[in-house]
Amino acid sequence: MARAVARLLIRYLLLACGVVLLNFLLPRLLPGDPLNVGAAEGLDLGPPLTAAAGHQLRTYYHLDEPPAGQLFAYLGDLARGDLGWSIARSAPVSGLLLNRLPWTLGLLGTTLIFSASGGTALGLLAGWAPGSRRDRRLVALMAALSALPEFLVALGLLLIFAVTLRWFPLLGGQTPFAQYSADPLGSGQRALDVGLHLILPAAALVLAGIAGFALIARDVTVGIRYAPWLIVARAKGLSERQIAFRHALPHLAGPLLTYFGLRLGAVLGGALVVERVFNIPGLGLLAYEAIRERDYPVLQALFLLAGLGVLAANCVVEFLYLRLARRQPARYE
Amino acid sequence: MSEGRALAWIGGSVGVVCTLVVIAPWLAPYDPGALAGPPLAPPDAAHLLGTNDVGQDLWSGLLYGVRTSVLVAGSVTLLSTALSWGIGLAAGMSRAAESVLLPLAELLLALPSLPLYLLTVTLVGPSLLHLILVLALLSWPPFARIVRSLVLIVRAAPYVEAAQALGATPAHIIRHHLLPATLDVLPTKLILTVRFAVFTEATLAFLGLGDPATISCGTMLNHAFDDPLLFSRPVWPWLVLPPAAAIVLLVLLTVWFSQALEGRRAQATHVAVPESTSSKVS
Repeated sequence: MARAVARLLIRYLLLACGVVLLNFLLPRLLPGDPLNVGAAEGLDLGPPLTAAAGHQLRTYYHLDEPPAGQLFAYLGDLARGDLGWSIARSAPVSGLLLNRLPWTLGLLGTTLIFSASGGTALGLLAGWAPGSRRDRRLVALMAALSALPEFLVALGLLLIFAVTLRWFPLLGGQTPFAQYSADPLGSGQRALDVGLHLILPAAALVLAGIAGFALIARDVTVGIRYAPWLIVARAKGLSERQIAFRHALPHLAGPLLTYFGLRLGAVLGGALVVERVFNIPGLGLLAYEAIRERDYPVLQALFLLAGLGVLAANCVVEFLYLRLARRQPARYE
Repeated sequence: MSEGRALAWIGGSVGVVCTLVVIAPWLAPYDPGALAGPPLAPPDAAHLLGTNDVGQDLWSGLLYGVRTSVLVAGSVTLLSTALSWGIGLAAGMSRAAESVLLPLAELLLALPSLPLYLLTVTLVGPSLLHLILVLALLSWPPFARIVRSLVLIVRAAPYVEAAQALGATPAHIIRHHLLPATLDVLPTKLILTVRFAVFTEATLAFLGLGDPATISCGTMLNHAFDDPLLFSRPVWPWLVLPPAAAIVLLVLLTVWFSQALEGRRAQATHVAVPESTSSKVS
């Protein structure tokens, strides 16, 4: 166990080094010039600079140093938590990201919890009677849902529930200019307001994400229907519900955990796009604004943060999987 | 509906979409970039879907937009498939190639893809060519790993050893023994990559990374959503629904196509109940 954990940690440490290195190399390997936005397309769109001014800027940003020197400067900045200075707004990038992070994390957390548990329940329901009408309909629906881009699901919900029915606010993370009193009642009101704004985006992400979990849970359930231990459970006279929850459900944990890890990056991507549909002031909206302003230090920091975050989460998932595999030895013979 | 007829229907619709793509310039009444009428006009005889906020014809835009999606999907699929197979075969044949390519594949697979696309496309500048290159260069790892594992299995088979003993060159072995063994997964790769490309192009364009010189369904949606008063305009359904429906339709076509193919395969092998649906998970 200890050796397996050590191997896991080393692997993820190497991958994390890869992310940091990729983040350093990408802007330097790809065509383009930091002093001229149009260079990659062969256009001259940068501000007109005299040779001396250009040289001064290059020296200031360490661009005239050899690659090794640039790498050390970059790693040093990174170690101090310095992710650079935003081009479009006069603020450090790390502060910008930290301000927006809670919105995205909240959206992600809610989505993952609901889509994993809902998908497992649906998959169990479908896989219990494979080939039945319910199963076929559910599989067809889930296959279609899993293929749709998240922002289109979000768009559909927005058009139905916010624009047409007006049940939910159209956009934003909270009501602008709303005054909340300072007492606990006020913070409760604020939480309610934010919750109301986040229901539709979270629902869109859950709808888009639930399908994968449901399909995997269904496949595993179909596969274990005639496993000896399940037949024994039936022979004991347990009710179908007891068999499903006590005996079948724990067997879904392993494959679903693996899929959970695989999906993290994709769900994060979905959250970023959905934030633009609903104007939720999270990392996705920041990315959208940064793209408009060609503010690539922000995008670079976002990539680093997202990459390291997903790697860390995956490392935890694989650690849990190791624990899980140890707790049920020799059951999958 | 029988499986064969379903396949015929879906194949037919794919054909219709492809024909539309080819003849779009003749079907479109206006240049999609031209200011063809009054801004925000509702649909009428001159403008089938009305016009957008600068007076561009939306029906022409939609035709050209679908064309762009299909163009991107086709090029990305060809490039990415070639890369997957080339890299998978190389990694399966040579230890040196494997030691370089496999860690790279693992790194790309472990990363969240959207932030990576956002960063790279912003750095190189959004244009159709850059978009196609970025999507193709970053989407080969999953199937390269599958091809490599298939190659490793076949390479150990006695008939390949026999071919080697008879003096077959590596090129001959790849062409006649290894490549055929990997072709079973080719349809899956093609369909998944078409879907991935349509999906990702639309997403990136919606986030503002579409080619500013080429119209696509994603850039049309992006343009519509740039208007802060979009939903207070009476014509908003014409600005939002057609491009969204086009993307949904393209994506669903790939899903139904793969379902029909799978159904036919299941019928051919007399398997009544599909035991696995995981291949539908994108």
